[in-house]
Amino acid sequence: MSTTDEKDLVARCREGNDDAWRELVDRFGQKVYAIAYHFTLKREDAEELSQEIFLKLFENLHRYDGGFPLVAWILSVSRNLCIDRYRRRKREKSFRFVSDDAVTALLKSDDDPASMALKKERTQMLFSALAEVPEDLAEILILRDLNGLAYDEIGKALELPEGTVKSRLFRARAEVARKIRERHESKGAPGALASLAIAAAGLV
Amino acid sequence: MSCRELERLFVAGSADSEQLAHRNTCAECSRLGADLDRGASLAAQLQPPAWSPQLRQALLRVPSMTVSCEAAEMLLASALEGEIAKADASRLQGHLSRCGGCAQAAGALYAMRDLAAPEPPAWLATRLVAAKPQKKKSFWRSAFSGKMVLAYAYSAAVLVMLLGLNPTAVVRKAGFASLGESTRNAVTVAESSVGDRLGAFQEKAARTLAVWRGHVGGYSRAAVSNAIAIVWKPETKKAPSRPRLGKEGGAAANSGDFQVAGRPIREPLPPRFRV
Repeated sequence: MSTTDEKDLVARCREGNDDAWRELVDRFGQKVYAIAYHFTLKREDAEELSQEIFLKLFENLHRYDGGFPLVAWILSVSRNLCIDRYRRRKREKSFRFVSDDAVTALLKSDDDPASMALKKERTQMLFSALAEVPEDLAEILILRDLNGLAYDEIGKALELPEGTVKSRLFRARAEVARKIRERHESKGAPGALASLAIAAAGLV
Repeated sequence: MSCRELERLFVAGSADSEQLAHRNTCAECSRLGADLDRGASLAAQLQPPAWSPQLRQALLRVPSMTVSCEAAEMLLASALEGEIAKADASRLQGHLSRCGGCAQAAGALYAMRDLAAPEPPAWLATRLVAAKPQKKKSFWRSAFSGKMVLAYAYSAAVLVMLLGLNPTAVVRKAGFASLGESTRNAVTVAESSVGDRLGAFQEKAARTLAVWRGHVGGYSRAAVSNAIAIVWKPETKKAPSRPRLGKEGGAAANSGDFQVAGRPIREPLPPRFRV
C-alpha cells in the first residue's frame, strides 16, 4: 500500500467513514498488538495498550501528512505509550522473570513437549536478557527482530538516522547475545544430552 | 570487545559473506558472531501473538469513544451552550479523560460561569466618565457644521445672485432666523457680501440700462410716431388720392414732396398722438 493510499485511508477515517476505520484496524491492529505485547509481555496490558494506541491514533489522524509509511507514523504516535509501559514493567520486581504463559503466546505449538519446554526456556532467557539492556537499545531490537520493521520505518518512528538505527541494533544484539551466553555459562557447560536436545530443536 | 570491524561491516550494509570472511580471520569477532547467531535463532522461532476478536471489536469502537483535539474544541463549545448530542457528549468526555490540555481548557471555561462579578472601586465611575472617548460625528452633524453651513450660504447667495433675486427677501422667506446662531452668522456674512456685490451689479446694470434707454428712447419715439402717423388718418377732411404715376399725370410725383396718405409728413400731428 503506497503512502498516497494510506493518506487517502486516513482522510476517509477522519471523515468518519466506518469502512475506512475498519480497514485501518484490520491492517494494523495485529501489528500494533504484537508491538504492545513485546513491550508488556502481558496479554491484558497489551490489549489495553493497543486500545490506547488506537485512541491516540484516532485523535491525531489530522497530523498524518503521508510523508512516510503509516506503520512508522503509528509507531511514532504510540512510541511514548510503549516506552512508558516498558518502564512501568521494568519497575516491577518481577520484570526479569518472564512467565511461561507470556512466552507460550509467542511460540508455535509443538507436538513434542520436551522441545516445547526447551523453546520456552530459551525464549524466557531471551526476554530476561533483553530486560537488562538499556531502553534505547531494547526498543530497536523489539521493533526490528521481533516485529520485522524496516530500518527506515524504525528510523522515522524514532527520529533517528538509519546508520544510528543499525549501529544501535548491532549493539543491542551483541549485548543480548552476550548476556544469554553468560547466563548459559553460569549454569554450567551444557551436558551432552542438553546439547543434543538443543540441536534437535534446531535452535542453534 | 575491541575489534569493531564486524559492527562496521553490518552498519555499512555489507554482504553476509563479507562479514563471515572477517569472522573467520578474527577470533574476537568470531565469538561475537556466534553469540549473534544464537540470539537471532531465538528471535526467529518466535511468532507474533494473535490478537483476540474482542480486541478487534474494541478497536473498531474507538471512533465512538473519543474525538480529536480540534473536534473536542467544537464539541466543548456546543456543550457550553447545552446543545450537544448524547453520543458526542460521551466522545467529548472520553477525550477529556485522556487529554490533559483539553481537560484544562474545559475546566477553565466551565469555571468562568461560576465567577462572581467584582465590585468596582468608587473612583472607577468618575475615571470612566472622564476617559469617555469622543463620539464620532454623525453624518447630519458633520453636514451642518459651521464650515459646511458657511459653504451652503455662499452657494445659496451665488445662486440668488445669478437668479437676480433679492437676497434679503430670500433669506427672510426661507426662515433662516429659525436656524442656529452659527447659521445666522454665516447667513449674515454671506448676505452682506452678496448685498455688496449685488449693489455693484445693480448699479452697473442701471447705468447700462440708462445708456440703452437713451438709445432706444430716441429710436422708439420716432418709430412710434411714424407708426401712428401711418395708421391714424383724420376723418374730417378727405385728402385727394395720390395721383397715379404716369396715368393721371405726374404732377404730384414730380412736385418733390413725399406724402403719407395724402398729407405731407412735415404736417404736425395732433397733440394727443405725440409720443
